Amino acid sequence: MTETTASDDLVLFIQREFKATPERVYEAWTDPAILARWFGPEGSTIPECDMDVRPGGHWRALMLHADGRSNEVSGVYLSLDRPDALKLTWAWTQDDGSRGHETEIDLQFIAEGGRTRMRMTQRVFADKGMRDAHEGGWISSFRCLDQVLA
Amino acid sequence: MTSENMVPVFSALGDPVRMAIVERLLKDGETSAGDLAEPFAISKPAISRHLSVLEEAGLVERRTEKQYRMFTMKPDGLKSMADWLETYRQFWSASFDRLERILEELPPEGGLQKEPK
Repeated sequence: MTETTASDDLVLFIQREFKATPERVYEAWTDPAILARWFGPEGSTIPECDMDVRPGGHWRALMLHADGRSNEVSGVYLSLDRPDALKLTWAWTQDDGSRGHETEIDLQFIAEGGRTRMRMTQRVFADKGMRDAHEGGWISSFRCLDQVLA
Repeated sequence: MTSENMVPVFSALGDPVRMAIVERLLKDGETSAGDLAEPFAISKPAISRHLSVLEEAGLVERRTEKQYRMFTMKPDGLKSMADWLETYRQFWSASFDRLERILEELPPEGGLQKEPK
């Protein structure tokens, strides 16, 4: 298992290799029966999962934790490019029933001789205006400085 | 990873002008309100409102020097965001461990179709 992660304060990046083709990995994200088998931490289950797999389509999963708590998470598919790429939004439903802060998840599935290199970027702020405002990248520099001084 | 307690921080940072102010303060250190306003084609009162939002979210602090209002990033201001992203990193890492196992359990793919056992 090779996992690479990086983050600044606003973007999380994870790269992971899987012994399966991009078609299979893409399917693991877009088939509710398969997603329900891996999504969430160890000990959690997904008793409900619905997906309308098309651009603009909604998806939803109910996650049941080992301690009996449940959380709903949902979003919209922004773009679908089977089996190479997938982009979706993500937000947890809050106690009051409204959706919490929405993040954006950008996935790429790169074929490497029968295996897949999956690159996932999760952005705290989804829209382009925010991304442009963050382009200076000083927030990440600040974190590096913090580590050097610590 | 549910985000109720992060709402003030998300809402404070989730505006391009405020994001740019934060970037400027991180880059340049302490800066006056007037200097922070300069790059934007918006009024000084509008900048003051943005700075108040950032202050209430615990991201920046102010001090007054003579007639100037000086702003700096609070050292731990962005820590809550970093911690929040860290919980996501753990969530995904654990999920991808499970995904790895599930992918191995699926029937073989490719041209050589084997009989299922």
